[in-house]
Amino acid sequence: MAVEIDSETLSLRREIARARRRGWMLFLRRLGAHRSFRVGFALFSLIVLLAVFADLIAPYDPNKNDYRSLLAAPSMQHWFGTDGFGRDILSRVIHGTRVSLGIGISVVVMTGVFGVFLGMLAGYVRWLDNALMRIMDGLMAFPGVLLAIALAAALGPSALNAVIALTITFTPRTARVVRSSVLVIRELPYVEAAMAVGAGHARIIFRYILANALSPLIVQLTFVFAVSILAEAILSFLGVGPPPPAPSLGNIIAEGRNYLQDASWIAFFPGMAIAAAVLGLNLMGDGLRDITDPRLSAKRDAG
Amino acid sequence: MAKTSRLGNAWHVCLAAAVAAFIGLSPMAGQAQTAGGDLVVVQSSNPPSLDAMVTSSQASRNITMNIYEPLFGFSENIRPIPILAESVEISEDGKSYRIPLRKGVKFHNGKEMTAEDVKASLERYQKHGATQTMLKPVESIEITGPHEVTLKLTESTPTFLEAFASPRAPAVIIPAEEAGKGPSEIEFIGTGPYKFVEYVPDSHVKLARFEDYSADESHEGIDGFGGKKTAYLDTVTFRVIPEPGAAVAALETGEVQLLEQLPVPTARRLASNADIAVYENMPWAFLTFIFNMKEAPGDNPKFREAVQVALNDEEVMAIATEGLFHLYHGWMYEGSTYDAGDIGKDHYNLADADRAKALLKEAGYNNEPFSILTDSTIPEHGKAAVVIAEQLKAVGINAVINQVDWPTALNIRLQDQGWNGWTLMMGIEPYLGPAALISTLTGAAPHFRANDEQLDALYQELISTDSEEGRKEVFARIQKRLYEFFGIIKLGETGLMQAARANVKGFKPFRFPRVYDVWLEK
Repeated sequence: MAVEIDSETLSLRREIARARRRGWMLFLRRLGAHRSFRVGFALFSLIVLLAVFADLIAPYDPNKNDYRSLLAAPSMQHWFGTDGFGRDILSRVIHGTRVSLGIGISVVVMTGVFGVFLGMLAGYVRWLDNALMRIMDGLMAFPGVLLAIALAAALGPSALNAVIALTITFTPRTARVVRSSVLVIRELPYVEAAMAVGAGHARIIFRYILANALSPLIVQLTFVFAVSILAEAILSFLGVGPPPPAPSLGNIIAEGRNYLQDASWIAFFPGMAIAAAVLGLNLMGDGLRDITDPRLSAKRDAG
Repeated sequence: MAKTSRLGNAWHVCLAAAVAAFIGLSPMAGQAQTAGGDLVVVQSSNPPSLDAMVTSSQASRNITMNIYEPLFGFSENIRPIPILAESVEISEDGKSYRIPLRKGVKFHNGKEMTAEDVKASLERYQKHGATQTMLKPVESIEITGPHEVTLKLTESTPTFLEAFASPRAPAVIIPAEEAGKGPSEIEFIGTGPYKFVEYVPDSHVKLARFEDYSADESHEGIDGFGGKKTAYLDTVTFRVIPEPGAAVAALETGEVQLLEQLPVPTARRLASNADIAVYENMPWAFLTFIFNMKEAPGDNPKFREAVQVALNDEEVMAIATEGLFHLYHGWMYEGSTYDAGDIGKDHYNLADADRAKALLKEAGYNNEPFSILTDSTIPEHGKAAVVIAEQLKAVGINAVINQVDWPTALNIRLQDQGWNGWTLMMGIEPYLGPAALISTLTGAAPHFRANDEQLDALYQELISTDSEEGRKEVFARIQKRLYEFFGIIKLGETGLMQAARANVKGFKPFRFPRVYDVWLEK
């Protein structure tokens, strides 16, 4: 049986939808106008394009050995030179960004899911708050990268294990951000109003709380993304990332560290790629924070 | 046809210069040796133990062979010579070895070495020695004088003295009161030219000159593991620096004086540096690939043969050794006493994909994962594994790499499961000769986990054959057998690059860095 909707409600709904669209347009326009976001976005998009179309862009098979050109300096054939296996560094860096970004995105998604779940639980279900957050504090007591290294070493070297290790490391930080937003939002009048009209927990959580806690979360996740790429490089550098011969930015640098004086290009180019990806993400994160922070935007509107 | 290493001409010139420089600087050239100073030697890993007889690790041997001495050891040209023994008298039936000892030899604790110490040390070796098989033929060790022992053998063993002189895990002589202690529980007291001072794991081992050292005056100078040794340096510090880059930087700044090993490209660069002398220690080792014959797919000889014919050994060696290699199929060094000629050459360095695919089909190979165990600690191992995996993938083998650290690899390869192939550099075994090499492939724990009965029988024949001619013939059959069941693949031969500051004089590359008869020019 269809629910009858009178024309007044309908037009109100349309109005709300239009307002929302306008809000989005305004948001995007503000982002577009934000200079550091633009630079970060361009930089990061470039890296993403390289990773997505690696097979088309890379001039060589990244694992193709060539013992006739070991440690060749950058040249027309090999723009970034070759490594100790005669493999093309440019191709390895391009494919390496795919591995690094893949790990970064996986960590962001997993951290987002677990962080939101735990943060929401802690913020919304009062009696769970203390227990959960003390566990999170316990995990955060370890220096992040050190914990990731220990976990990855215990689990064994593979890309999946790196993702698991980094997720465990970064989830508590995300959960804390979500929890603090939830604590603030749940006391706001519109949440009370929703409760008063008898909205269910699911509706309150997803519709009213989570939707409004998103902006700090997004900023936090861009940070997690950047740090994951760095941490993945650290793990791979230490030999607990994806096993050889798969290129990742970290293990290319690890292979290059013995040749810093004799073939510096091996470590230099993947290092630049890491720097570009992390810088891009951080600039984007800054932009997002500037735009979504009501205090900052109020200041901007006033100015 | 054997190919030689692919090194540039400039490299050869530099090497020649280095060799010339080193010849010119030997003590015979009339240079005055100066006493004193601290020599800092760098190696990449910690010695697992300084109890010389319980470990066959090179990292230990590098240090312990300057502290301890055995009764017999190898000369420069790999013949057994007496070191703490004065001589040896072998009975007609080959079952009794009467060994008079050198008199007046002092231990680092000031005590004089007697037959008691020798008996106690050798009996300890029978219990704790890392290569106990060397003393397996010995039935009893008898004291036949204050400075004489007699070894009674169960049966005539022509290769006994060669095996007994092996430096792999040397049967060194320690004081009798230490010999009752368990592995690595002893005080590190020997008779060598340097005595132990301290060991700080992950940092260094310090040795100091032993003032009461009794040199073997029957020689002119040092000879292999023996000869007349003189300690010029006050102290020697063996520093552990795992990162080659850091070690090289320390050498360039003069913070350390001797690198036990350095990367080949770096050696090439340093050859033009007047402050540094580069040494090429070649041949140093075999690079090999070993199958686990107890687990599929490596349990199938057809599969193993497929791998053998698929491999492009030149590519593996060029990359794994960074260009310092020699291609040779033989299981003894080319031109050495036991070199068995062309046997097996038709299976070496073929890179024959079609034949490999046909053999895989014959073997019924069905894309099972082929897990290659390797480590990143020894760069040659890890690099060879990567190249082999790529080559095997190209012929349709589902090769995956399991790269761990060296101690873990050593542990895993002792299991019957969990690995299919393993990359291994064999340094000391081919150096010691056929018996030592083949002994690792037979007996209770052969490298490839499952025994090959024919090879086991051939090994027994090898060690019980009296004449060298006879043993050569047996070894030729061993080489033939190795190229029939393909339990182990020889990839090629490699060398070791070493380097020292130019003021380090008297250094001669050898199986371990001899820090005696080396001095620092002021």
